[in-house]
Amino acid sequence: MATKLTKIINHWVPENSKVIDFGCGDGSLLKELIETKNILGYGVEINNLKIEKCIEKGVPVIKQDIDKGMNEFKSSNFDLSIMARSIQCLKNPDLALNRMLELSKRCVVTLPNLGYWRCRINLASGKMPVTPELPSSWYETENIHLCTIKDFENLCKKENIKIKDKVFLNKDGSRGGLASIKPNLLAVEGVYLLEK
Amino acid sequence: MKIKTEQIHFSEGLSLESGERLDSFDLIIESYGELNESKSNAILLCHAFSGNHHAAGEDEELGIGWWDQIVGPKKAIDTEKYYVVCCNNLGGCAGSSGPTTINAATNKVFGKDFPLVTVDDWVNSQKMLMDKLDIPYWHLVAGGSLGGMQALQWSIAYPDKIKKAGIFAAAAKSSTQNIAMNEVARESIRKDKNFHNGDYYDHNVTPKNGIKTARMLGHITYLSEELMDSRFGRKFQDEASKVDQDVDFEVENYLQYKGEKFSEFFDANSYILMTKAMDGYDAGKGRDIEEAMENIKAELLIVGFYSDWLYPAERGKEIQIAGMNNNIKSSFVVFDGEHGHDSFLFHSKEYSNVIKKFIES
Repeated sequence: MATKLTKIINHWVPENSKVIDFGCGDGSLLKELIETKNILGYGVEINNLKIEKCIEKGVPVIKQDIDKGMNEFKSSNFDLSIMARSIQCLKNPDLALNRMLELSKRCVVTLPNLGYWRCRINLASGKMPVTPELPSSWYETENIHLCTIKDFENLCKKENIKIKDKVFLNKDGSRGGLASIKPNLLAVEGVYLLEK
Repeated sequence: MKIKTEQIHFSEGLSLESGERLDSFDLIIESYGELNESKSNAILLCHAFSGNHHAAGEDEELGIGWWDQIVGPKKAIDTEKYYVVCCNNLGGCAGSSGPTTINAATNKVFGKDFPLVTVDDWVNSQKMLMDKLDIPYWHLVAGGSLGGMQALQWSIAYPDKIKKAGIFAAAAKSSTQNIAMNEVARESIRKDKNFHNGDYYDHNVTPKNGIKTARMLGHITYLSEELMDSRFGRKFQDEASKVDQDVDFEVENYLQYKGEKFSEFFDANSYILMTKAMDGYDAGKGRDIEEAMENIKAELLIVGFYSDWLYPAERGKEIQIAGMNNNIKSSFVVFDGEHGHDSFLFHSKEYSNVIKKFIES
């Protein structure tokens, strides 16, 4: 999973840059960027077991609930902030987006697309979507703010956030093809490079 | 596990932060494990204010080491892989030079005349110890509370001599509340009629009551409200095991017992000296800690505990943020911790794993 994402966002990450990854999980994305781009990376994570995995990899990590604030990271001069597959778990995704762009000039955001046709079929049959990308039932999912590609881009417009680049992913994680023809219907995931 | 105890003499002396000088001094140390051929596996443990050099294993006189849950064969700090050293700090009362040792200049015990020592002085004396043991650098310097302050100071004072620092339940400086608590403790010692302005040795007495009260207060600050509640609640002490007839509740009995035991071995002048060192520490020396930390090369692991109200986790986070602002590889982890401030002393699977993985990453 991380390997594919690294390939997609690799050219957005400057060599030797300072990067913060919100919701960094086990730190594998940062670890790869450290190895391929020689970045100075910090992860932010709430789950202690995942934090342990980061430390095992030698990836610096900070225990923090992103919903409780990101202001303390402002003074640290990051070049890039990343939030991969986490923004839909936050209480205030719009605030988080703005905060990220306050603490770094650019940010990378990836999100699952609720407009993907499989999700729509689920909804059309009267049920909350459960797909390989969104496998949890509505009562146990951490995804409290799911949106479609269109919703997300509308939010960016409303918040005056510039989309510098974007990539849409197919079910197998590949880019282009069907996903780029009609992303809101055919992409499972959107990957964005944003600037304020 | 084999415990090696040594008394090491430093005839070269040490110039102290206060401007005073110790013409010579001794450090008592314990070590566990073996230094490897490349001398790359040395770890220094720094003790908290009432600790000593006996960090791990069981000793006939000193009992079980203060960090035995974390340090030992196959434990988080693995003595089968690492050469682990711990010394009693200068000014202590467990064998290193301090108020209870003989002042060569006067042939009498130092008593209250033992010079004021600081965290910086301790770190400098530990550096001399490192050189004497022919250790080129520490793979890790670690400690909790006042010990964590020493680990931080090591990374600031000797950036090339330390690869990693483990800073647990600590802060870059004592808070106003910390100083206030310590002052109450010191006052209870000073006002003990047996204190004799610090010259109690001449009168063949010790200000036991003062030390006892100080320690009882200390214990309250080390535990969390939750732990006190779950451990003692409002249960009454049974008659047979009351240490004092005035005792009603179990918690009273516990504090009485702990305080009494402590007052039997801990020196009053040491108590005052150690708490003064703790209060006086400020990594930034009046400046912003971020400035003080700019030359650090070591990787930092900062651990806090939610149940710790003496050195709240947020104080640890400040160190991590200052480190990150200086582009230092630094991590901040928080655990619930059942034991309040004392949580750093106790093994839990997640805490031990994080320490182990930090050391080995």
